[in-house]
Amino acid sequence: MSENAADLSGPTRDALAQLLLGIADDEFVIGFWDSEWTGIAPMLEEDVATSSISQDEIGHARALYEMLAELTGQDADQIAFGRQPEAYRHAALMNHARTDWAFSIARRYLYETADAVRLEALSRSTYVPLAQLTAKMRREERYHLMHLDAWLRRLASDADASSRLGSALRTLWADALAIFSPVPGEEVLVRGGALPEPMEALRTRWLDQVLPVLDELGLPGPTEQDLAASSEDGRSRRTDDFLWLHGQFTMVAASESGATW
Amino acid sequence: MSDGSPSHDRVWEVFRQEAEGDPMIHSGNVRAPDEELALHYAREFYGRRQESNRLWVVAREAITELDDPDLLKPPFDRSFKRPGGYLIKHKLEAAKARAGAPAAGEGHE
Repeated sequence: MSENAADLSGPTRDALAQLLLGIADDEFVIGFWDSEWTGIAPMLEEDVATSSISQDEIGHARALYEMLAELTGQDADQIAFGRQPEAYRHAALMNHARTDWAFSIARRYLYETADAVRLEALSRSTYVPLAQLTAKMRREERYHLMHLDAWLRRLASDADASSRLGSALRTLWADALAIFSPVPGEEVLVRGGALPEPMEALRTRWLDQVLPVLDELGLPGPTEQDLAASSEDGRSRRTDDFLWLHGQFTMVAASESGATW
Repeated sequence: MSDGSPSHDRVWEVFRQEAEGDPMIHSGNVRAPDEELALHYAREFYGRRQESNRLWVVAREAITELDDPDLLKPPFDRSFKRPGGYLIKHKLEAAKARAGAPAAGEGHE
């Protein structure tokens, strides 16, 4: 058990920083994509729900960036807003634009279910601050999961919506699997228990949970090709969609560097 | 926003309890196609700021309403049916005076 950053060895700290950066960027970027539904969600109530869930994700990203900042001696805002697009480490799943409602629900369903598996594992981390933070995040993510499950089932029961969901899932599967790309230095983290299980094991658990649900709803799982795709660059690949979003979410911070309010 | 289809138009009334033991107080309503999303939206509108201990969500059509003025606002003076409506202050004073005067007189003897 490590109570604080100073107790960690150099290699553990470096690997932990990579792990935290990936998760924080996942939460940050999906939060920004889905906040684009504010004002244009299918109904007013859903507009509020989607905006609120997106805010929750950005809040989780903030907490993770702060933990990372403590680990590396940087500034959390600088990490969040001060990097060039190629320095972000979110999974390729978050490279896609918002697209239509079915696409956003498909992406979010894949993300929330994968995140739940990841958070459960991290709530057993031997790095105490991470175990505590992820335990807190899990309580909020419970509602996100309920909400996404409700929407997935709803859309799956309608012919047009279901075919849109299906094609979104086919587009997204390979990039969703990148959520569980190996973290640089992962062996060190697993050995010390900061990451209680290898990403590969979490990926298997996630698929075991999600595939029966999708199958029941007549929605596609990953193809052999999706499963075999290399995850080497799963967290470093960037797209034009993301470059655009990066321009959007860094616009205010870039307008006056170092400004405070 | 609503596309006007009837499935979006069900209204759910939301009651909120602030702390355990407090009464459930009507807070407002949400629109949702079914019970499940109604609960989610009630949570978003009336519970996401940690302001609620419990929510009740009731389909508006499940509520039996009475708003008949003949039953609720009868035309005659029925103020004596209200706890404060029947003024006994003066009668009580008179009764005290009647009972108290001889007793006071007796006390002096």
